[in-house]
Amino acid sequence: MAEHEIILLDGAMGTMLQQAGLPVGALPEVWNVTHRSTVTAVQRRYVEAGSRVLYANTFGANRLKTAKSGYTPGELIAAGVRAARAACEGRDVKVALDVGPLGQLLEPLGTLRFDEAYELFREMVTAGQSAGADLVVFETMSDLYEAKAAVLAAKENTSLPVWVTMTFEDTGRTFLGTTVPAMGLTLSGLGVDAMGFNCSLGPKELLPLAAELRHWTDAPLILKPNAGLPDPATGAYAVAPEEFAGALVPALELGVTALGGCCGTTPDFIRALASAVDGKRPAARPDPVRRGVCSAARTVVLDGDVHVIGERINPTGKKRLQQALREGDMGYIQQRAVEQQDAGAEILDVNVGLPGLDERAMMARTVRAVQAVSDLPLQIDSSDPAAIEAGLRAANGKAIVNSVNGDRRTLDAVLPLCKKYGAAVVGLTMDENGIPATAAERVAVAERILAAAEEHGIPREDVFIDCLTLTVSAQQDQAVQTLEAVRRVREELGLHTVLGVSNISFGLPAREHVTVSFLAQAMAAGLDLPIADPNQAAVMDAVAAHRVLSGHDWDSAAYIARFANAGPAPSRPDVAGTMTLDEAVARGLRAETAALTERALQTMTELEAVDTLLIPALDRVGERYERQEIFLPQLINAANAACEGFEVVKRRIAEKGMGSVSKGKIVLATVRGDIHDIGKNIVRVVLENYGYTVIDLGRDVKPETVVEAAVREDVRLVGLSALMTTTVPAMAETIAALRESGHECKVMVGGAVLTAEYARRIGADYYARDAKRSADIAREVLG
Amino acid sequence: MEARLTGLDRAEALRYMGWRGGPAPEELLRTLDRCEALLRRTARPRAVWRMFELLPDGTLAGTGFCPEGRDIRAHLAGCGQVILMGATLGAEAETLIRRTQAADMALALALDGCASAAIENVCDNLCADLAAALAPKRLTGRFSPGYGDMPLEQQETLCRVLDVERRIGVSLTAGGLMIPQKSVTALIGVSDGPGTEERRCDGCGMFANCEIRKAGGRCGGT
Repeated sequence: MAEHEIILLDGAMGTMLQQAGLPVGALPEVWNVTHRSTVTAVQRRYVEAGSRVLYANTFGANRLKTAKSGYTPGELIAAGVRAARAACEGRDVKVALDVGPLGQLLEPLGTLRFDEAYELFREMVTAGQSAGADLVVFETMSDLYEAKAAVLAAKENTSLPVWVTMTFEDTGRTFLGTTVPAMGLTLSGLGVDAMGFNCSLGPKELLPLAAELRHWTDAPLILKPNAGLPDPATGAYAVAPEEFAGALVPALELGVTALGGCCGTTPDFIRALASAVDGKRPAARPDPVRRGVCSAARTVVLDGDVHVIGERINPTGKKRLQQALREGDMGYIQQRAVEQQDAGAEILDVNVGLPGLDERAMMARTVRAVQAVSDLPLQIDSSDPAAIEAGLRAANGKAIVNSVNGDRRTLDAVLPLCKKYGAAVVGLTMDENGIPATAAERVAVAERILAAAEEHGIPREDVFIDCLTLTVSAQQDQAVQTLEAVRRVREELGLHTVLGVSNISFGLPAREHVTVSFLAQAMAAGLDLPIADPNQAAVMDAVAAHRVLSGHDWDSAAYIARFANAGPAPSRPDVAGTMTLDEAVARGLRAETAALTERALQTMTELEAVDTLLIPALDRVGERYERQEIFLPQLINAANAACEGFEVVKRRIAEKGMGSVSKGKIVLATVRGDIHDIGKNIVRVVLENYGYTVIDLGRDVKPETVVEAAVREDVRLVGLSALMTTTVPAMAETIAALRESGHECKVMVGGAVLTAEYARRIGADYYARDAKRSADIAREVLG
Repeated sequence: MEARLTGLDRAEALRYMGWRGGPAPEELLRTLDRCEALLRRTARPRAVWRMFELLPDGTLAGTGFCPEGRDIRAHLAGCGQVILMGATLGAEAETLIRRTQAADMALALALDGCASAAIENVCDNLCADLAAALAPKRLTGRFSPGYGDMPLEQQETLCRVLDVERRIGVSLTAGGLMIPQKSVTALIGVSDGPGTEERRCDGCGMFANCEIRKAGGRCGGT
C-alpha cells in the first residue's frame, strides 16, 4: 500500500444482497454459488463508483458457519473470489479475501481453542490464495487473540498481504476489552501490512480511534465505518452518502490511507467518498510511534517510570510451585497471578522450567491459565527456544522474552522468534565465557546484543538489558558494577533495563533491608523494569517512594492513596488466645487457620493434623450446612480457611520431600457442550479442601478426554456436571464411554437439571445434589 | 433506548445462589452489597432489539425465521408483530466472575448470583422502555428459545437474525449456548388487544425439577 495515496475500498455487501432479496439471517456466501451474477452485479456497481479494492463475499465462509449450508468453505470462497474478479474485469482493482470472526469465542471466555481457530482460518486463507485473491482482510474482529490466530494462519500458510480491521465501541474498547494501543502494538509486532477499524460505529465516532491508533503503529491505516447507527426497530441506517463522505474527509488529516464503508453503505456512499477526497492526499504520520508491551486489555508504556515484573511464577527454589507444576494444578498458579496483580505487579514473569517436565507444553498451558485470570502483559521466561515459541504463540498481546545473552547461538535461535511474534526481548549481559566482572565489559555485551537484535529487525526500543544481580554476600565487589552497568546502559545506549533484585541478599539475615536498598539504588541508576516479589510490601513501598522522588507520581497522589488508609500494621493473628482450629475454620478465618495449623504441627505429624483437626473441623461445618444452619458461601469460606491449613501441611511435606497427604485423586469435568462451570468449580474447591487431589479438566470436555484422564491417572472417582437439559445426553455418553473402557471407577453427577432418578437412568453411581454431598461421596469411595 | 442496569433483586440473587429462604445473615447481605457495587462498576450492559411483522404462517417477515412449538405459538396468539431482543451484561462482568473464582470462590458465587439478577434487571428495563415507546400497543412477557417446547436449537437462528455477535458481542458455542453467559434472548409479542397472561409454570422446561416451585414459590418467568 503506497503511503501517500488514497485507496478507496468498497461498501456493504450484506446490505446490498438483502435489498436484492437475501433473507435477514441467511448465509450471504451461499449466493456466490446460487446467485453469482447478483453478487457480481453489486460489486460491479462498487467498481464503477470508484472502489479500488473489492472485498469478496466470503466474510462468513468458515467451516463453523458453512456446516449446515451444504457447501464447503473452499467452494464458497472460490466462487466468491471468482464473482469479485468478474466484477473488476477491465479495471485495475484488487480482490481481497474477506474474513470475519469465526462466530465462536476463543478461550478463556469461550470454548474454541486457539489451535482450532488457527485451523479454521488456515482453511480459508489457503482457499483464498488458490482462488487468486490479491490480499486477505480480517475484519470486524473484536478479540485480539482471534485476530492473532488469523494473522499467523495467513502469514504461515500464504504469501498474501494481510490487513486487519477491528470493531470498537465508542468507549475505545472492543466487546472483549481490547484497547487501541494493544491492537496497534500487537498487530504491528505480528507484521500486518495495514490496520484500522470497521463496522459498529459511524464515521464521526471512528475518527478519535484512528487519531489514537496512528500513535501506536506505522502501518497504513484503514477506516470502513457504518452509515451511522441503525434504527433498532427496522435495522435501517441513518447517515446519507454526502454526510458520510464529508465526515470521513478529516481522516486524511490523520494520515488514514484506505477508506470505505461497512453496514448500511452502498455504491452511492463510495461515489460520494470518491468525489469528497478527489485531489486530496493523506497527511504525514507522527514519528516516532509509541512503544511498550501489552496484553489485549492493558498496555505498559515505557516512559521512564518504574514497572514491576512479578517473579512468583518461577519454580526455582519454590517446592510448592514445583509440586503444582508436576500435578498440573493450574488453580495454584492462577492464584499466584491474581495475588501479584492485586499487589501491584504490572507485568508477570512466567517460568515453568523443571527437570523431567515437558516445558514446551507446560509453557503454553500456563500462559493460557494465567491469561484466563489476569490481564497483565507477560514475560516468557525460558532458555529453551521451543518453550519460548510455545509461550509467544499462546500469549495474547505483545510479550517480553526472557532471555537472550551475548552468545551468538542463543541470539540466532531466539531473536527470529521475537521478530516473528513481535515480542520485546531481555538481553543478559553475559555470554559463553560467563558474566564479565566489570561494568564496561557488561555494557559491551549489551551493545553486541542490541546490534544483533537490530540485525534481526527488532527495534531498539524493544531491547531490554539485564545487567545481572550477583549475590552480595558471595561477590561483594559486584553490586557496584551492576549498578554502574545499569546507569551506563540507560545513559549511553538509551535502553530500558530489567533486573532481578531479590538475589542480591541471598545468604544474609534480614534480607529485605539489603534487597530494598539495592532496588532503590538501581532505580536511581535508571532501572525501570525490576523483577521482584510484589507481595513484599517493602519492595512496593520503595517503588511508590521512588515514583514520588522521580516525579512520575505527580503531587504524590498515588503515594498518599497507598498509605492513606494504612493504620498501624495489622497485628499477627491471635493464636496465643483461646481460638481453636475448629472455630477458625467455622468462621472462615484464613490467617488464623494457617497459624493454628503451624502450631499444631509442633506436636503432631502432618497426617495427624489433617485427620484429627482439619477434616473434623470441615465435617462440623458440613453438618451445619446440611441442617441448613449455614449456607453455601459460608461453607465455601470455611473450606477456603481449611485450605490455608492444608497449604501449611502441603508446604511442609514438599519441603521434606515426602509424598503427599492426598486422600486420593478425583477427575472433575463439565461435559461436552456445556459451559456453565461455576458449580463444578465450587465442588473442586470443597474437594480440595477436604484433602483430595482434583484433576480439573475444565468445561466443554469431550467424553474421550475424561476417559483418557481417568485411565492415565488411575482415578477411582469421576465427577461430571451439566447444567442444561440439552447437555445431559453428553453426560450419559461420557459415563457409557467410561464403562466401555473397562476402567473401574465410580461416577458422580451433579447439575441443576439432574435428579437422583435421572442420574440413575444415565448410569451414574451417585447423584451429588451439592458440593457437600460430593465430599461425602468422595469419602465413601476413596476413604 | 439504552441498556440500563438500575439495581438488582436481592431475593432473586439469593435464590440463584441456592438460598432456601429465611432471613439471610448480615455478613451475606454485606457481600451482596459489595457484589452489586462491583457489578455496577464493571458490567457494561448492552441490548439490541428489532420488530418484525408476524406473518399468518408464523414466520417473522423478511427473515425466514419461524418460531417452533405450541407454547410459543400460544404466547404470540393475537399478536401482529414480534420483537426479538437480546441483552447481555458483557464480557467485562464475565471476566470479573472468572477472575474472582481464582481468588475467592465464595465471593464468586455471590457475584454469579447477583449477575444473574442483574441481567434480569436489564431485560426488565428494556421491556418497560419498549412498552412505553409502543403504547398503546400491548407487549407479552419474554419467551426464550428452550422455554416450553420451543427448541433451544432456534437460538442460533434468532441470534443470526438479530446479529447479536456484531451488535452486542454475544456469540454461541457449538452447542448453542450464549457467551457471555449472563445474556438473554427472547421473543416478545406485540398486539393491539389486552396483554396475554403471564407465563405459567407448566409451560416451563424446568417444571419437573424446579426447586422454587417445589418450595411453593415461583420465579415469574425469569
